[in-house]
Amino acid sequence: MKAFKLQLTQGNLAQRFDILRELVDRDMKLLYKRSTLGIAWTLINPLLQLVVFAFVFQVVLPTSISRYASFTFTGLLVWNWFQSSLYQATGVIIGNRSLIRQPGFPIAILPVVVTTTGFIHFLLALPVLIIFLLIDGIELKPVILLLPILQALQFMLSVSLAYVLAALNVTFRDTQHTLGVVLTLLFYVTPIFYDIKHLPANYQSFYNLNPMVHIVSAYRAILLEGTVPNWEPLIIIAIVMMVCLPIGLQFFRRQSDRFVEEL
Amino acid sequence: MSEGIIVQQLGKRFAQHHPERPSTIMEAALSGWRRLKPVQHFWALRDVSFTVAPGQMLGIIGRNGAGKSTLLRLIGGVGRPDEGRVKLKGRIGALLDLGAGLNADLTGRENVFVCGVVAGLTRREVARCFDSIVKFAELAQFIDNPVRTYSTGMQMRLAFAVAVHTQPHVLLVDEFLSVGDLSFQSKCLERIDQLKAQGCAIVYISHSVEQVQELCDQVLWLRKGQVVAYGEPEVVVGQYLAEMRSETQQRTPIRPPQLTKTGVELRVHENRFGSLEAEITGVQLLPASEICSGDELSIEIEYLSPQLIYAPNFGVSISREDGEVCFDASISAKELSLSSIQGQGKITLCLDRLDLSGGHYFVDVGIYEKQWEYAYDYHWHTYPLSIDSVTQKNGLLCPPHRWETSKVHLSMLERL
Repeated sequence: MKAFKLQLTQGNLAQRFDILRELVDRDMKLLYKRSTLGIAWTLINPLLQLVVFAFVFQVVLPTSISRYASFTFTGLLVWNWFQSSLYQATGVIIGNRSLIRQPGFPIAILPVVVTTTGFIHFLLALPVLIIFLLIDGIELKPVILLLPILQALQFMLSVSLAYVLAALNVTFRDTQHTLGVVLTLLFYVTPIFYDIKHLPANYQSFYNLNPMVHIVSAYRAILLEGTVPNWEPLIIIAIVMMVCLPIGLQFFRRQSDRFVEEL
Repeated sequence: MSEGIIVQQLGKRFAQHHPERPSTIMEAALSGWRRLKPVQHFWALRDVSFTVAPGQMLGIIGRNGAGKSTLLRLIGGVGRPDEGRVKLKGRIGALLDLGAGLNADLTGRENVFVCGVVAGLTRREVARCFDSIVKFAELAQFIDNPVRTYSTGMQMRLAFAVAVHTQPHVLLVDEFLSVGDLSFQSKCLERIDQLKAQGCAIVYISHSVEQVQELCDQVLWLRKGQVVAYGEPEVVVGQYLAEMRSETQQRTPIRPPQLTKTGVELRVHENRFGSLEAEITGVQLLPASEICSGDELSIEIEYLSPQLIYAPNFGVSISREDGEVCFDASISAKELSLSSIQGQGKITLCLDRLDLSGGHYFVDVGIYEKQWEYAYDYHWHTYPLSIDSVTQKNGLLCPPHRWETSKVHLSMLERL
């Protein structure tokens, strides 16, 4: 705690950025070194998922969604970023004991590192998404320039949730496993491979409670439809996150302090 | 410029939880969210205050579990104190978990960057002192190999090299200098001297009281989280050693006098101290207990350990009748590749030549607990050794020596 404040007053932002860069770099390198296909998995994974959904919903149970590949691939990329960030971040305190014990190390950066790594994978897959859009004959509109705003919002959402989950994992070591199940459930109740318009109206209000529903819809609005997204839910999410982020951060710091004290 | 470290009334409380505290969400739900609250608290540190001025080195001594490492972490801002505070400014260098920050799959080069940045440098600063780090760690040939191929010594050198190159204002060292080969150790000590000269405040934990006495400007002795003594190294270390001896005395059981194999009488509390968990059953001086100065001498120690004792230490010293220690050597059973002792055994110390001047001496031998906390058995002033010397009776040493003369030419002096 003490060390954080000291560093901040010194205006050491450049150094923070370097930590972020080195640790993201480390994660990418490790991924690259531990498997022959390395970063290619970033693409293979969502593409395989896409093949499965395309088969089920175009061949087995045809749906009326036009441009299905672009529609689903957008959802998959957004969702995979969200899912991998949360899943990885949950283990972040437990898995980085030596970093947490390093005096002066800004522990709060760890979930940011994980989310940034996920973001880079998202960016790497983006050209493939653009190709899908072009194949589906979608014209990219200037509204696509709003993409960074959506990404920033999703980033904030992921990091806020990541703080809470990582902190919870210190007390309950099965948080990561439980999260795996919860995320699978959430995946199905988020319109990734189906369209929310096809749902009965009484389900829609329930769906509206899920922030990822709005975020996925917003991505689709600017990428597929070329329209400005529905700002209202996005602004609400942003406000809620501005409240939740500091609380999550506080919880995270307290739990990581507790974790260092064990042993 | 750094202001050193000021620690005021520092206290840290740890919680003890129910032994069956649920550790998963499932268990917690099943047990109705009970047993999550700690059962009781205990103070791991209480009322610890001290100051380390820039350029000073503070040694912390105490038994295992006395709170030394907890204190070091709190100084580093890892974890938060429940009482009091730590005031310090500037970058903290730390050698706490040796080599733990290294990533086995990355190369040495990549690790230097990660560790350097994590320790508080910017990438540019790491790049600037990269060559110097590699040179210091003596790893130039291996720097692009993955760290998993490094030996423990190499990993340690790399970690140390990064830590000392961060130009810390405060350096925290936990039992670090006692490992590694001698040449690297002396290099580390040299570097620590340099840092001190630059005004770095250093806190050093060690089990080796000799090293603490030698290196530190001040010593703090902790027992069960509280300060027992704080001040000049000689004074604090002296008190600490005295308590260690009295600990040995307390553990010495009452036993009737006993004869060793060589017929020496051992009387508990007079010439024999220790818990007698392991015993020295006989000590023989070879070739004889009367030798000439410069002769070789072997000291054979036979021991008997009824139970398994892990990594004990053996010590032999030669002292004068007035108690002045002339020679002192010790070894851990681990270094002899005996990880533990059980049953009977023999260990021999061979001195190729003993250049003490003539007189009467005693050979004192002991077996000690692995952290030197107390003696299992220590025979004091039990085995006499007399040394004959034709040439010299005064002084302590009598190494081989000769006198030489040479004439100085007057002409040479003039030329100079």
